[in-house]
Amino acid sequence: MLHIENLHVSIGDKPILAGIDLDVKAGEVHAIMGPNGSGKSTLAQVLAGREGYVVTAGCVRYLDRDLLALAPEERARAGVFLAFQYPLEIPGVANVQLLRTALNSVRRSRNETELDAMDFLDTVKGKLELLGMDDSFLYRAVNEGFSGGEKKRNEILQMAVLEPRLAILDETDSGLDIDALKTVAHGVNALKHPGRAVILVTHYQRLLNYIVPDRVHVLAGGRIVRSGDASLALELEERGYGWLMPESSPQTEARP
Amino acid sequence: MNHAEVRRAETRNPEVAQRVTDEYRWGFVTDIEQETVPKGLNEDVIRLISAKKNEPEFMLEWRLTAYRHWLTLREPAWSTVHHPPIDYQAIHYYAAPKTRTQPKNLSEVDPELLRTYEKLGIPLQEREALAGVAVDAVFDSVSVATTFKDKLESLGIIFCPFSEAVQKHSGLVREYLGSVVPYTDNYFATLNSAVFTDGSFVYVPKGVRCPMELSTYFRINAKNSGQFERTLIIADEGASVSYLEGCTAPMRDENQLHAAVVELVALKDARIKYSTVQNWYPGDREGRGGIYNFVTKRGDCRGDRAHISWTQVETGSAITWKYPSCILRGDDSVGEFYSVALTNHRQQADTGTKMIHIGKNSRSTIVSKGISAGFGSNAYRGLVKVLPGAANARNHTQCDSLLMSDHCAAHTFPYIEVKNPTATVEHEATTSKIGDDQLFYLRSRGLSEEDAVNLIVNGFCKEVFKELPMEFAVEAQKLLAVSLEGAIG
Amino acid sequence: MTPTLYRQALEQTGGSPHLLAAREVALERFFSHGLPSPRDEDWKYTPLDFLERAELHAPHHTAEDWTSEDYPGIALKYGNGRLTDVYTQSIHAHSLADRADTALVVRYLGQLADTFPGNTALAEINSALWQDGLLLHVPAGWKSAPLFMVHRTSEADAMLHLRHLVVLEAGAEAVLVEQCLGAPGLAYWHNSVTEIVLGEGARLTHLKLDENSAAATHTGLTLVQQARDSRYRALSLNVGARVARHDTRVHLDEAGATCQLDGVFIATGRRHIDQHLHVDHRAPHTGSSQTWRGIADGRGRGIFDARVVVQPGARKADALQSSRNLLLSPHAEIDVKPQLEIYTDDVKCGHGATVGQLDPAEIFYLRSRGIDADTARALLLRGFVEQALGLLKDSGLADWLEPHLAAALPAPNKEHTA
Repeated sequence: MLHIENLHVSIGDKPILAGIDLDVKAGEVHAIMGPNGSGKSTLAQVLAGREGYVVTAGCVRYLDRDLLALAPEERARAGVFLAFQYPLEIPGVANVQLLRTALNSVRRSRNETELDAMDFLDTVKGKLELLGMDDSFLYRAVNEGFSGGEKKRNEILQMAVLEPRLAILDETDSGLDIDALKTVAHGVNALKHPGRAVILVTHYQRLLNYIVPDRVHVLAGGRIVRSGDASLALELEERGYGWLMPESSPQTEARP
Repeated sequence: MNHAEVRRAETRNPEVAQRVTDEYRWGFVTDIEQETVPKGLNEDVIRLISAKKNEPEFMLEWRLTAYRHWLTLREPAWSTVHHPPIDYQAIHYYAAPKTRTQPKNLSEVDPELLRTYEKLGIPLQEREALAGVAVDAVFDSVSVATTFKDKLESLGIIFCPFSEAVQKHSGLVREYLGSVVPYTDNYFATLNSAVFTDGSFVYVPKGVRCPMELSTYFRINAKNSGQFERTLIIADEGASVSYLEGCTAPMRDENQLHAAVVELVALKDARIKYSTVQNWYPGDREGRGGIYNFVTKRGDCRGDRAHISWTQVETGSAITWKYPSCILRGDDSVGEFYSVALTNHRQQADTGTKMIHIGKNSRSTIVSKGISAGFGSNAYRGLVKVLPGAANARNHTQCDSLLMSDHCAAHTFPYIEVKNPTATVEHEATTSKIGDDQLFYLRSRGLSEEDAVNLIVNGFCKEVFKELPMEFAVEAQKLLAVSLEGAIG
Repeated sequence: MTPTLYRQALEQTGGSPHLLAAREVALERFFSHGLPSPRDEDWKYTPLDFLERAELHAPHHTAEDWTSEDYPGIALKYGNGRLTDVYTQSIHAHSLADRADTALVVRYLGQLADTFPGNTALAEINSALWQDGLLLHVPAGWKSAPLFMVHRTSEADAMLHLRHLVVLEAGAEAVLVEQCLGAPGLAYWHNSVTEIVLGEGARLTHLKLDENSAAATHTGLTLVQQARDSRYRALSLNVGARVARHDTRVHLDEAGATCQLDGVFIATGRRHIDQHLHVDHRAPHTGSSQTWRGIADGRGRGIFDARVVVQPGARKADALQSSRNLLLSPHAEIDVKPQLEIYTDDVKCGHGATVGQLDPAEIFYLRSRGIDADTARALLLRGFVEQALGLLKDSGLADWLEPHLAAALPAPNKEHTA
């Protein structure tokens, strides 16, 4: 489904990713781990099409298309979903407005009929229940005044509504207490599907207690330095990242 | 008498207490002979000033042009300050201590004068070497002592009285004088251009970082003598300098006019930091006496990445009218304005800044803290202007007022004018009083009411104080405490 | 405009000898002031001296009856400055010209215009030349049905002076919606003065919609005097006219009086839209809030000038101003002046003002959810404006207003597409 080859990415003159190779097949769950500043979030942002990152070499194929040539909304319509590490607050725009506009944009691109207000609400209500969320969530402005946990749950709600083929969760676990973490994990597990792949970007192993990955990759200094199965995560939990670090000092993760 | 005693005295005998709190700690008169030009202003007086300073012809011409322009102007009336009309013909435009020759070192300086500075705590003697401060002391209109000149000279830095610069560095003066504040700028700047007597001149050559804080103390002393200082600071490409200006004045009954002009020029990659602590005589509790302080201060970030920072603590003067500004001409240039203005009794302050964004990516920061007590009136007036070419310009303004009495006034008049769609300008203002519950909390922890007030006020001003050089910050805190004595209750 | 032209307009007005005498006095006072010039600080950004070069006349015709849309309430339709149907369905609303000689009008008309400081010139020319307007009088304890006052101008180079008087006695309540329309492309000058007197505990919700033609000049002055515990809530949607100047001045005269002055301006095309708010806290325990959102696009220019004064003795005053603005084009301009003038210490006052653009991170966030860039921008603009529309909640007016808002928002601009 996703094929990344020799991906090099810079912000301005500063190289962040220095040759990433990664294959993700439908139905798989991959975890990408690594210390702060290793380039994890950059990888997630580049896959979603954030401006300000320059791809200096390499390519990304997604469902046999050149992913990097697509605009962010085209990627979303093709089934790529990024759950943001820091979801944005958008005052004045109601959650329901965002969800409906987004879902209908996606449906339109698939030549499906747009949902009217009633059908849409039916669809969304099912998803709300799945995530143990209240109706009132829909009518609040997007993420405005939400707690950290609410924001993360809202990301998962959007994911549930848009039903992506490839879901990328960027540190969705950070800042969550254990109950919120379980809710989020439950939401993700419920969306697991043979036709769907998930990439979990995380610093900690604990999310992986609830969502078991097929593959674990360790990112350091802009490269994948080790890949393995779920047991690699447990090993990292015990030994930390130090033993995997390349010679050169890690690069700080810059933002545009 | 400490604060607690003052308060006790107040409850027993209000009159005594008032006299105590009214005392202007630095109010004394230095008794030395003055050489004074007769009162009044006309072309002859200007010729006389120019002749006494032995000025080159271009300087006299410039003064006369300014004077003729001044005659066409009217005193501005737009600010919130009120005062009886100023009689410009009742002012002495020139007063100099009668010392025949310029002193070569401190032993030649009039001992009376040195004692005056000692009382003010100016480190003019050996202490200054330890403190690393070079002082160009201006006593009324003529500079009397300059120190550390040799060390600065070895770096090519010029730091001298303005009158000396006119003689020795006339090329630089001619090039830069009036290039930031033209003689046509405003009523008081025009008057200054015609009659200025002295001030400081600084030139820091290319790539040189001035190794010490440069400092000047101004004193207003001679009765009825207006002071018209002119300061010009030029930081050449890549140079940097920090300049401190402190002002104290002895007690007087009649109002005294002060109309200074300060021009800063920062060329490419240069950095100028200009700090002021102003505690001129504010007048008495009823508003009698005190200095009228009408100042024009402006910096020009003339090259890319130039950086000009103004920091001011204004606790003195009956009237303060002052808007240190930055013209952000260079790309990526930076302008800053950090201000604390305190008005007590009948003091009036109308102060703020202008940030004119011309260059791309130019950035400015404004932090203004106004404290009003007694019948004091305090206004922030500021302009942030982003011109069409200033892509990605950024400004952030924070403007806070602290109110300490039923009769005081605090105003905020910000002007924001944006003509570029990639600029971001943010302005925030708050007004608050010192809460009774805050005071109670601190007093229940054993602080006196005055100490509690000082603590809160210092917290309120912290963002500005941290911009001041260390020794200035300490002095500024003391000044606030003294100025606020008896303000609560 | 020569004095002769103003005089001709005066001759076309009417009224009792008492009223005519008052008109004469007002006209002389107007001549002594003249129209505001840029030297006047309050008019710095919007000088009106261009009107001096215009040749305008009092309208000759009352526009024929017209129906443009349905109003969810009682509609009072004014054509070229005259009420087209004097038999209104409201028992509280009347043509002011019809009622000019009643004791109520004689008592209140001009009371605020003559005593509030500022804006003298435009109030005076209005006092001299007003043709008609609204008298809304709600007696103590009554509640008026929602009223839609709709103005439509169809005569070129007309000079319309409208005068409105709203008196809500103790405990009375009303909802007044004011809409100004003009034939597309038509040049005219619409100058209105509205005097609002709110008695103890009275409540007025006032929605003002300026949709004047893109060649028109609109000057509107609203004066509000509030007694104890009264509440004035206003929402302005300023999206019309070539040059518009909207002034609102509120005096909170007694304890417990509160006002909320919210609004949106959208200056597209070559529009120049200036809004001035002035709230005077003259008694303890008074409250005011202002929430405004402004957009300038194309060659538009928006000005937001708001001033809050807290007078000596007005303890426990509470005043908040928020002005956020978006500048969307390199030829547009936004000027903001939020001012506080405080003369007592026990107050809670603050303001925040910003000028900026849409946040690229927000646009990216929406695009990553499959929404195209134009739709994302439109959503964000609508959301931005929404922040000033809190007053519409539960008013039943939101649905009516929505299409007006949608029509005014800037269309997606190719230039902005990344």
